[in-house]
Amino acid sequence: MIIIGERINGMFRDIAKAIREKDPAPVQEWARKQEEMGAGYLDINVGPAVSDRVDAMRWLVEVTQEASKLPLCLDSTDYDAIEAGLEVCKRPAMINSVPAIQEKMDRVFTLAGKYDAEVIGLAMSEEGIPKDSDSRIALAMELVANCDAYGVPVQNLYIDPLVLPCNVGQDHGPEVFETLRQVKLMADPPPKTTVGLSNISQGTKNRELINRTFAVMAMACGLDSAIADACDEELIAAVATARIILNMDIYCDGYVDVFKNQNK
Amino acid sequence: MAVEILKEKYRGQVREVVLGAAKDKGGTRSHTVKIGGETTLPFLHFEGNIPNRPVVAMEVWDIVPEGWPESLKSNFEDVYDDPAAWAKKCVEEYGADLIAVRFMSADPDGQDASPDDCIPTLKKVLEAVGVPLIIYGCGKSEKDNLLIGPLGEAGAGENLLLGVAEQDNFKPVASAAMANGHTVIAQSPIDINIAKQLNVLISELSTPLLDRIVIDPTVAALGYGIEYSYSIMERARFGALQGDRMLAMPFIANIGGEVWSKREAFVPHEEEATWGEQPERSMMWEATTAMALLQAGADLLVMRHPRAVELTKQNIDELMKDNSY
Amino acid sequence: MGLTGLEIFKHLPKTNCKECGFPTCLAFAMALAGGKTSLDQCPDVSEEAKEALASAAAPPIRKVKMGAGEKEVEMGDETELFRHDKRFENPTVIAIKVKDNEDIDAKLNNINDLYFERVGQEFEVEAVALLNESGEASTFKSAAEKVAGGTDKNVVLISEDPAAMEGALEVLADRKPLVYAATKDNYEKMTELAQSKGCPLGVKGDNLNDLAELVNKVLEKGYRELVIDSGSRDTSQVLADLNQIRRQAIKKKFRPFGFPTIAFASKDDPQEELIQGGVYLSKYASMLVLETDKKEHLLPLVSWRFNLFTDPQKPVQVEAGLHKVGEPKENSPVYCTTNFSLTYFLVEGEVDASRIPAYILCVDTGGTSVLTAYADNRFTAEKIAEGIKATGLEEKVNHKNIVIPGLVAVLKGALEEESGWEVTVGPREAAGIVKFAKEKLS
Repeated sequence: MIIIGERINGMFRDIAKAIREKDPAPVQEWARKQEEMGAGYLDINVGPAVSDRVDAMRWLVEVTQEASKLPLCLDSTDYDAIEAGLEVCKRPAMINSVPAIQEKMDRVFTLAGKYDAEVIGLAMSEEGIPKDSDSRIALAMELVANCDAYGVPVQNLYIDPLVLPCNVGQDHGPEVFETLRQVKLMADPPPKTTVGLSNISQGTKNRELINRTFAVMAMACGLDSAIADACDEELIAAVATARIILNMDIYCDGYVDVFKNQNK
Repeated sequence: MAVEILKEKYRGQVREVVLGAAKDKGGTRSHTVKIGGETTLPFLHFEGNIPNRPVVAMEVWDIVPEGWPESLKSNFEDVYDDPAAWAKKCVEEYGADLIAVRFMSADPDGQDASPDDCIPTLKKVLEAVGVPLIIYGCGKSEKDNLLIGPLGEAGAGENLLLGVAEQDNFKPVASAAMANGHTVIAQSPIDINIAKQLNVLISELSTPLLDRIVIDPTVAALGYGIEYSYSIMERARFGALQGDRMLAMPFIANIGGEVWSKREAFVPHEEEATWGEQPERSMMWEATTAMALLQAGADLLVMRHPRAVELTKQNIDELMKDNSY
Repeated sequence: MGLTGLEIFKHLPKTNCKECGFPTCLAFAMALAGGKTSLDQCPDVSEEAKEALASAAAPPIRKVKMGAGEKEVEMGDETELFRHDKRFENPTVIAIKVKDNEDIDAKLNNINDLYFERVGQEFEVEAVALLNESGEASTFKSAAEKVAGGTDKNVVLISEDPAAMEGALEVLADRKPLVYAATKDNYEKMTELAQSKGCPLGVKGDNLNDLAELVNKVLEKGYRELVIDSGSRDTSQVLADLNQIRRQAIKKKFRPFGFPTIAFASKDDPQEELIQGGVYLSKYASMLVLETDKKEHLLPLVSWRFNLFTDPQKPVQVEAGLHKVGEPKENSPVYCTTNFSLTYFLVEGEVDASRIPAYILCVDTGGTSVLTAYADNRFTAEKIAEGIKATGLEEKVNHKNIVIPGLVAVLKGALEEESGWEVTVGPREAAGIVKFAKEKLS
């Protein structure tokens, strides 16, 4: 499972302040730190703190790239902000995200084609997040069909089945796992999958235990990536171990360190 | 009808390793040899880069070898007792890309030569040929541990390929490589997990050494478990291409010693009526072993018989031709 | 893997009529991919789509047979690219070339004699490839007669002249030879010939594109017992083509390439030819045609074939019994291990490296390693004692001392009691043997 480091997000106070004051230091420190810990992508989200999201996104992308070579995951519902970010990205990025709503898919898959970007597709529509896996799968299939129709390679699409906190949406858990399994039957090569990992533990105690337990269970169902806390050592160790057990990496005694140091 | 050619896009790349050092890098080699750097499986030029051709080293011993069949021995009869002349013959007449010197004289149960006894031989071979050298001890690790430091020092700056680091005995070779700018053969006993772990251990000693490791997966001879070596090499190479940096080193396949100790190398036709004539059969046994391991990803082969070397180099020439569509 | 949702969807009418019980064609496609419904629930699906979907569900590479009776061999039916994923199914068939204008009887004698025994296994080459070198139909036919009388091996008939092929088939059709080859110029007649005689048909293109087109034409004529050839003869290009054909068939289920392959070694020098052929055998050729008929060339090749096509999930066994390392004498040491080939070869290699000639008593443990065999009661004091007796070890050495693997040190007491021999516990790993031998045995 590839970790998309979640920390460069205007929801966090230090990042919000950095964006307002145009101070690159905190952003770059988090970029380096997450890369160091083995993140595969860096999520970039300007958050609610600014009025000019386009400008803020462009700035965040630029300063992050100065500190890290990792590909970026541009996280916004404002597609103008995403396009502004894509314009200044030095290497192919990921668009986070698009729901199965036609006009949004039209815009995002066009962008993806133009900038050779990957796309996170959300299994939701105008009507919100469905409960059962069949409806999630149908929405995912619409994303796949649109992706393919726009000429974007289907393996560049990451389906997010949408995770709800386990204290409020306990019954969604099995539906999410079933969706993850079915996504792999949609195309060949299949789309990839992702989740916002910390959603599962929102508002609970034992957040980290819930996060990493969910992560390894979801990996067994075909989860390829997650937007998560790259600095959670226990999570990284659990992911490294799951990769071994799932025969995704070749075992050696020092496999946890090998996984952590994969960017070095 | 146009067939849409299937091309895999791998994330990883085999590390490129330089063997030998010329004047500009503090050595005396006439040229260096690069191995590795592939971005696809063996010889699939149509989907990736294979920047360096696999190369063939020939073995030179510092004593007159015992137990080689006449059909092999006869190729070196005139140079047997002179490692420098032997090395020269291998390079000039038989086209060896590298020379692998085996210091068998150090065998504590044989001549028990000291490091000081071995150093002059190393220097003579370095003078006699311009190709990069591979250095092996006598095969008994307690003695070889004493040998490798002084030999590494005597060849300082030459970027020798030093054998062999093992999981429970990697420090002597790794330290000798670190101290004097050499490269390490990391040997594992037909075990992919140990192959990987050994690289982790070496990298913990020195991160820069990661780009100066050649994996010896311990290849078995044809008919003696080669399929295990073949599959381990295929798996490791596939892992490397998928991004496993700790297995992304080039492979050395030490074929000669394996093949030429087996029955197929010795037994006369009279004893095994269905096996064909020994001189040609034994040579073909070595060449076929090399052919198979090249298909599994071998980047450097250590061999003995001149004709087997020639056949292998011809095979490599053929396989290095572009096959893109 | 079966068909994916997207592939199925592309064949559906996209009407979203809901008659299948699903809200959209997309949802129906996914349900079908997941095996939850069947295609006949769709009222508007075309015949073409049905056929495409059905053929995509067939095995990726067709199994094609050559030969009749006991000599029948199967080719194709492969599902893997790497033997470590799952074993390769059908070993490459080796055919030796005979020209219709050479001394056929002499060549056939050599080929008939290509029989090998090694480590308890018997190998042979399976076929003779009769080449219409003369270009004459009559010469080809009389050569076919000689082949019919001179060997019981399978036959590949190589001629692009349908008249010559027809003549040879009159003689040899009962042997179900491979009819090689249909080309773009002769495929109609060649296909009819092969089809009418029930023989497999070789299809030869000028390159991959050309081959795919030609195979489709032959398939349109309704014949599927095909063995395919991209027509390349340069080592590197053949390797690339064989890789593409295998991948396209397995990963894309590309129908024109879903057949066994035939490859021809082309080097003049027989040693070079053998190595070139080895490349093709390693990478996916279902049949390999060679000219050399010397045992010293072919023994390495058939041995490699045996190694490559073993099942990696099943341990390979070494012949149980008493093995010699070097030339052991009556005072030489005796080691003991299991008959799992990797275990045995590691031990043998280390004993050899110790440079003390020795005997190794190799116990039949069904090809399992020391600890597994011990746990499974296949490597017991009784079995080792039995081995000592059965191999006549007591007459071969003048001592009664045997070295057992350190991992089963626990067997020492029982084995001493059972056999009356003195037992030395050896190292736990083969890698310790050199040191052990030096300290304890020399």
